[in-house]
Amino acid sequence: MIENRPWLTFISHATLMLGIALVALPVWMALVASTHPASAFGVGHIPLWFGSAGMETWQTVLFEQAGNGIDTPVWVMMLNSLVMALGITFGKIAISLLSAYAIVFFRFPFRNLCFWIIFMTLMLPVEVRIVPTYQVVANLDLLNSYTGLTLPLIASATATFLFRQCFLSIPGELVEAARIDGAGPWRFFFDILLPMSRTNIAALFVILFIYGWNQYLWPLLITTDDAYYTLVMSIKRMLSVNDGDIAWNQIMATTLLAMLPPVAVVIGMQKLFVKGLVDAEK
Amino acid sequence: MSDVVLKNIGKTYLNGFCAIPSMDLTIEEGEFIVLVGPSGCGKSTLLRMVAGLESITQGDLLIKGNKVNEKEPADRDIAMVFQNYALYPHMSVYGNMSYGLKNRGTSKAVIAEKVNAVATMLGLEELLERKPRELSGGQRQRVAMGRAMVRDPKVFLFDEPLSNLDAKLRVQMRMEIRQLQRKLGTTTLYVTHDQVEAMTLADRLVVLNKGVAEQIGTPMDLYNKPATPFVAAFIGSPSMNLFDANLTEKGVSLSESLYLPLPHAHRGSIVWGIRPEHLAIVDEQDADFALEILAVESLGAETLVHGVLKDGSVQGKAMVVRLAGPHNPELNSLLWLSAPATHWHIFDAITQQRL
Ligand SMILES: Nc1ncnc2c1ncn2[C@@H]1O[C@H](COP(=O)(O)OP(=O)(O)OP(=O)(O)O)[C@@H](O)[C@H]1O
Ligand SMILES: [Mg+2]
Repeated sequence: MIENRPWLTFISHATLMLGIALVALPVWMALVASTHPASAFGVGHIPLWFGSAGMETWQTVLFEQAGNGIDTPVWVMMLNSLVMALGITFGKIAISLLSAYAIVFFRFPFRNLCFWIIFMTLMLPVEVRIVPTYQVVANLDLLNSYTGLTLPLIASATATFLFRQCFLSIPGELVEAARIDGAGPWRFFFDILLPMSRTNIAALFVILFIYGWNQYLWPLLITTDDAYYTLVMSIKRMLSVNDGDIAWNQIMATTLLAMLPPVAVVIGMQKLFVKGLVDAEK
Repeated sequence: MSDVVLKNIGKTYLNGFCAIPSMDLTIEEGEFIVLVGPSGCGKSTLLRMVAGLESITQGDLLIKGNKVNEKEPADRDIAMVFQNYALYPHMSVYGNMSYGLKNRGTSKAVIAEKVNAVATMLGLEELLERKPRELSGGQRQRVAMGRAMVRDPKVFLFDEPLSNLDAKLRVQMRMEIRQLQRKLGTTTLYVTHDQVEAMTLADRLVVLNKGVAEQIGTPMDLYNKPATPFVAAFIGSPSMNLFDANLTEKGVSLSESLYLPLPHAHRGSIVWGIRPEHLAIVDEQDADFALEILAVESLGAETLVHGVLKDGSVQGKAMVVRLAGPHNPELNSLLWLSAPATHWHIFDAITQQRL
């Protein structure tokens, strides 16, 4: 649709800019706040321009300690978060690719039943099964470990369903051509299926990475050791010191740092992501 | 040595539907066999059984003397060209053509040599780096054939490979396939529902009807001596004029009042047929019957006249006449025709066999 109406252009641009302002303003304020010394917040108004303590705060937070009762520096927590987010993302993608592969391309007894059982787990996210899951993880001695952080979150009905739809849209002739070309199950999976669903994988990667990165409840529950704290959960922890003592500048710096990786992933994979949502190149 | 032997082959699908009751066929080395028949008669089923994509529920399939019933498609030394080409969309033309060889552990140098040779043969040299979606329909078709050819298989299988192309390209590709097959000398099994394609390509034709081979023979055999009314109607365009008739002492009786003389006739009900091209316009006194003209199709080189037989009955029998060159007979006028007995086809109405 190509239209040339100046008013329409003006209004749509104005709306977009307003939207950007609404989204960007809090980020801006956080950025500004992180550059003021901790004492600047007691006076009751929020500064709108950069202060002078920026470098110092960011350095402390990033490399020495996050502050507000948390002694680990942000980079360690960032690493924890990254391990967890990537673990969940790759785990989910690998498992759902394999289960969708089995469900779509192999004839085994109770195939449909398997699919529906997987599908039903949609109704059982971690929050619902948190107590028994905690029990299991604790019994397996996985508290305070990366395995404990990622494993219970890895199974994914949504991704399985998505890949199933994607695989179902692959024409049967193609599968048969590969069979005649001598591609066994693994070859077919790696040479044909994976490359053909790579845009779907990319789109899922973005969504799942953000999902994993933003995990809050589960890490809060199973990490008691500072060394395994993740970034997102620690922000909440930082707020739970005495009211007057909250170092807002440090919290803001940590928050901004927590936002960076998801933003980087979205920007980095934007092109593939959009392609994955829009077309499947078949 | 015979190349592919189908011994009493049968297929019953899992839902109990018997697509092919039983079929015997021996294909000689280098022969071009075309399976032809109406939609749903089991052509694809038979081809896919040979390919190994569909299980064989009865009988034996031998390729070069080896029984291959249970073998995987990749181990049967066959190559198949699909109706929708089935090219791998994410691979280049080169990748598509080399994939089968790569999976068989052929060395890179040999692959490159073979792919390049085939690409040259098919005129694909310029396109090797392209993806399938960057190709035209005809080029995709060529790549699909190239993919089959590089492996140098014992048998080529084609399932309606030309049905997605426009009419002109189809004729051109038809010639090309025929020439390539002659040059390579590879045994070929080709499925089509287009009888022109079947006639022009085949060394031998197999006409299938509901999973049963009605007749197996050279195109000219089938044209000159169709074994059943089904084959007679299927081969030739426009198809043969077929009438239910009776044999009496006076000859062939097409209706109460219309007799065609035939000496030493037995009695019984028959199917009588004559091809549109074998009817000739004659003077009234020499004519066997008259046709009331209902429609005329002028194609330039030939003219098709559709009409009904004037035999005294109310409901005339429809008949087509094919005349060479342009003609312009008037609608609703009468056309006096003779049907030379040498071109008659007579089938038993009960056994449906040629008499
Ligand atoms: N998987 C299946 N299960 C049951 N019946 C099937 C199956 N596949 C095909 N059939 C039946 O077998 C018969 C032959 O099918 P086939 O695909 O061989 O026909 P065809 O001759 O190739 O037709 P067309 O010219 O339309 O491609 C059809 O009646 C079809 O309904
Ligand atoms: Mg078919």
